[in-house]
Amino acid sequence: MVRFELKKVFSRFKNKMAVVILCVLMIVVSLLTMNRVYYTDENGNHTSGMQAAKSLREEKNQWRGYVTDKVLKKVLKEREEIYQTKEVLSEENTKEQDKAYAKTQGISSIVEMINTAFSPWRDYDGFAIDRISPEEAARVYERRISNLKEWLDSGEEYFPEGQKEFLIRQYETLETPFYYEYYEGWSALLQNISTFLLMLALIIGFLVSGIFSDEFVTKADSIFFSTKAGRNRAIVSKIKAGFFIVTGFYVVFVMLYTFIVLFALGMEGAGCPIQWDMWRSVYHVTFFEGYLFIVAGGYVGTLFASALAMIVSAAVHSTAAAVIMPFMVLCAFPFLSRIITLPGMCSFFPDQLLDIYNSLKESVLVEIGGKVMDTAGVILPVYLFASGVLFPVLYLIYKRAEVK
Amino acid sequence: MELKFDNLTKEFGNFTAVDHLNLTMTKGVYGLLGVNGAGKTTLMRMLCTLLKPTEGRITCDGKDIFEMDGEYRKVLGYLPQDFGFYPEFTVKDYLLYISTLKGIPPAAARKRVKDMILKVGLSKAANKKMKKLSGGMKRRVGIAQAMLNNPKILVLDEPTAGLDPNERIRFRNLISELSEERLVLLSTHIVSDIEYIANEIWLMKDGKLMHKGRAEELIHSMEENVWECFVEKDLVSSFVKRYKISNMKSEMGGVTLRIISQEKPFENAVQAEPTLEDVFLYYFGEKAGDGNGAV
Repeated sequence: MVRFELKKVFSRFKNKMAVVILCVLMIVVSLLTMNRVYYTDENGNHTSGMQAAKSLREEKNQWRGYVTDKVLKKVLKEREEIYQTKEVLSEENTKEQDKAYAKTQGISSIVEMINTAFSPWRDYDGFAIDRISPEEAARVYERRISNLKEWLDSGEEYFPEGQKEFLIRQYETLETPFYYEYYEGWSALLQNISTFLLMLALIIGFLVSGIFSDEFVTKADSIFFSTKAGRNRAIVSKIKAGFFIVTGFYVVFVMLYTFIVLFALGMEGAGCPIQWDMWRSVYHVTFFEGYLFIVAGGYVGTLFASALAMIVSAAVHSTAAAVIMPFMVLCAFPFLSRIITLPGMCSFFPDQLLDIYNSLKESVLVEIGGKVMDTAGVILPVYLFASGVLFPVLYLIYKRAEVK
Repeated sequence: MELKFDNLTKEFGNFTAVDHLNLTMTKGVYGLLGVNGAGKTTLMRMLCTLLKPTEGRITCDGKDIFEMDGEYRKVLGYLPQDFGFYPEFTVKDYLLYISTLKGIPPAAARKRVKDMILKVGLSKAANKKMKKLSGGMKRRVGIAQAMLNNPKILVLDEPTAGLDPNERIRFRNLISELSEERLVLLSTHIVSDIEYIANEIWLMKDGKLMHKGRAEELIHSMEENVWECFVEKDLVSSFVKRYKISNMKSEMGGVTLRIISQEKPFENAVQAEPTLEDVFLYYFGEKAGDGNGAV
């Protein structure tokens, strides 16, 4: 029965077109993601994409390993040697500067980390590294904690005591030294994945929005509901079809996107901490774990929005109304937040599930029952549970449908 | 098997579509006759569990059909008036899908679908997409789907609507053939269809049952006579205003009228043998001067 339900969905021209559009979007986003990795060759010429990733990987992996005090000092020394020539120091000679930069690409992320650590909070001073000694550079991990404490004490932003303690504890317990290797593939993947997940969620929502209402739209409802299974097993089959479409499409397209990007840009770096990319993150996760968190959030968001679309489809018997639902749930608040300042409670709305990347980067903390946590960590199980509740509701709504 | 309507009522807001109906059906073909809005489709939809009654209940061998749920629908076959389908499905796929909905095991379903396709004469169109079928072919698929589970109760709502005369006769014969050993409720506007195949005819008006019985009984129940007369064209309008006219036939120099009237309407009028169409007009028709006069 599920097979027929799936056949109904995919035999429709509009749904076939939606799948084609999704494939095209995936290719476009993959290409854009691949072009996020840059490389500067020894002549100062810039490239991006697969070839750039290959060259950058070779450079960075020469520094593969834990970034200890010794490594930090060595990085400082290496950089000093490269940047001490007159040509490089000349501000007009950008070509020479590019050539010099080419030599530092292997350590560029470590340099950035030092610069960030010695910059004011929420700011970036690209020359901070020039003003510190090797001994100071070796204290980069301590600087991360002390910067946070200074900022919390400054009172620039208000944090309740519990949240302050949580932040400090998270910073202090983060495992150091960081492991370093080429991670640009994962970094690029994570930067664009939220956009791709949103498009994927909307198209999946579109695909499932007709599963229930099309019986009414095509006037096949009379026969459907007058059959033995019409008010029980057939509804379960429809729900299963919806669930399979959501899960199947989500898994397949996320895996395809991930595979394309990582195949082109390299899989190394999965075990590096996300702090290489998100210095202020409170999460103790690697790029791979961060990726799983983002993907899980996206899945729950897609499932929730699709379940709502199916409920509207079953309740109002209109595919058009159902299609709007995922847009309302996933796009309305991000759009509104660009126009007006939304209250804090909006960070609990389901659109946030599609934006776990930003939650990893800058957490919005919340205290529930004396326990401090990030909103992303709260909404994920909450909406997973809510989605689980929506399916029985969907069953009951459709079971009681009348043909007027 | 016994189906019983017990004080059955369905209201849509202030409008009563079916009004306190009490009826019993056993094996045989029941023809439901009535004008548009008489409540025929609403009654059939309740019988197929598509609509819940506002009041009263329908029982099958003493059990409420809504409580029986799937057990009741297992023995039900329904061809609705507006027969919807999945346009991209082939005839075979569509029937296989409906078989699944009817709970027929896959192997049995394949055989049954093959048999039904043969029975309704769609062998050549079995792999055609539903959207490519003609109106008549779609109706045949409709009856095939209704018969897939070999139902004990068959509900056919306007099954011959929109068919050309050939298709209609063919279809009528098919229904007649399929109606053996089961309970069939058939609704139509086409009086002759019912006259040919129904064992008992129900006349419905404004949600109520006006009369029921065999065709001959209904004909005898008429308290007026049927007359035929030839009149000049100029006089037709005055006759239309005064009498229920069941037929008009233009001929050279005048019009032959078929009039339903207690008294002889015209000196030269000849009494004619009443038919079921006259009965329909007698109960549902209005003189052109009354109400909307839509006869």
